[in-house]
Amino acid sequence: MDKRNFLYLFYGLSLAWGLVAAYLFVLMQRSRKLRAELDRVKRMVGDQ
Amino acid sequence: MRGVWTVARKDLQSELRSKEAINASVSFALVILLIFSFAFEPTADETRAISGGLLWIAFAFAGALILNRSFARELQNDCLEAVIASPVAGWELFLGKAFGSFLLLFGVELICLPVFGIFYGINLTKTLWPLLLILVLGTWALTALGVTFAALTVNIRLRELMLPLLLYPALSPALMASMTLTTSLLTTGSFGTNNQPWIRLLIGFDVIFTSLALALIEFVLVL
Amino acid sequence: MSTMSTRQKLVYGLGATGTLLLIWNLYRVLLVLPDEMQQGAIYRIIYFHVPAAFVGWTLFLAALVASALYLWNKNLALDGFAASAIEVGWVFCSINLVTGMIWARIIWGIWWTWDPRLTSMFICWLLYGGYLVLRGAIDDAGQRATVSAVLAIFAFADVPIVFMAIRWWRTQHPSPVLETGGLAPEMRLPFWLNVFVFLLIGLAITLLRLDQEDTKRELEGLRRHAHAHAI
Repeated sequence: MDKRNFLYLFYGLSLAWGLVAAYLFVLMQRSRKLRAELDRVKRMVGDQ
Repeated sequence: MRGVWTVARKDLQSELRSKEAINASVSFALVILLIFSFAFEPTADETRAISGGLLWIAFAFAGALILNRSFARELQNDCLEAVIASPVAGWELFLGKAFGSFLLLFGVELICLPVFGIFYGINLTKTLWPLLLILVLGTWALTALGVTFAALTVNIRLRELMLPLLLYPALSPALMASMTLTTSLLTTGSFGTNNQPWIRLLIGFDVIFTSLALALIEFVLVL
Repeated sequence: MSTMSTRQKLVYGLGATGTLLLIWNLYRVLLVLPDEMQQGAIYRIIYFHVPAAFVGWTLFLAALVASALYLWNKNLALDGFAASAIEVGWVFCSINLVTGMIWARIIWGIWWTWDPRLTSMFICWLLYGGYLVLRGAIDDAGQRATVSAVLAIFAFADVPIVFMAIRWWRTQHPSPVLETGGLAPEMRLPFWLNVFVFLLIGLAITLLRLDQEDTKRELEGLRRHAHAHAI
């Protein structure tokens, strides 16, 4: 395979999939926060 | 159609009495033109090449000031609720405000044009009527879309930031067309044969987005 | 396994299928396919650059339909779907822009140019980014949904322009190859397979995001319940 520009291809694909991974990470964080908040409010309602 | 003229007249009268937005708009546009003259060190040729862009940047920014006020002026004393509850139909309210803002902004532009011609040494009288046509088409795009987005963002915090943030990207096709055509007029004195698509784009943009705004304005107004 | 909802099963299913297909396709794209004559290895980025755009636009179209339906029947679940689709679509748009810029740096020598395709795609990115910013600025669920729906409809007006840009204007961006048969036969399967893969992954992430929207709605309902009973 022609090694020409292969390095930049690697950079490009890494960036692309890095973006997806970063976004998934953000989603996971948000999920965790939401679930914690949900538990907190559920407990608050349960206490009443 | 009477509702349209009623709303437009109301807005124009209240604005012309206080002249807040007009003064701010004209001052802002002139300041922008002044700052550009520092930035570009213009000989007549160089400026003419970017003249369309300069003019429309000034108009777009000055327009944002006017558009912000179009619905914001109704926020005090619950006037917005009163206007929405009035017998004026949604589309009449939209068209009335759009016309009002259009006339105000067009007035600002007419004041800026001779100043631009003097500062930058460009003779505008040779192509005055085509230039005015582009001004009308471009300004209508700006006000129709701007009034729609102003209605959308009137009740949101950070309103003054959200309106330009949303408006300018959405307006880009019309802005690009206006800038290209204006530059072509000021450099070559005609629209140019290559620029026919831009004219079609501008007219199409006006038609499509005015129709879209009229179709959706009812949903926006009951917020 | 039986405790997972249908949606969760769908997410895992789509995600797993997509990932497996992606790995298989990556092998083909990177190691099996020969180089393009003039561009060298970097041309392989097209297998990611274009599918990202296609999937992004598809998600925006789905959001358009959901938004229009929301304006019609005011079901907040539709608003949740539109928001999720647009957010994921926006990420794919970003991927498209980034991969495009890297390719451009190699082939043209410049990171960016203001030709119609790139400009309109950037505007699309700004418009939908503005949509996401707008959603963060409104607290009331109903108002947020209506404003977002109207904005989604206006924003989609740019997508046909982006798509048709290389057909309407002579651009620096490469001309159409898909319908003109310019894509070599052995490239077609990996290409469309990657489109399919991205679609699967995009759908999986959208469903994940949709889950969060539902949780948020449940949260708001519970909060209202709590406040009502606290008084």
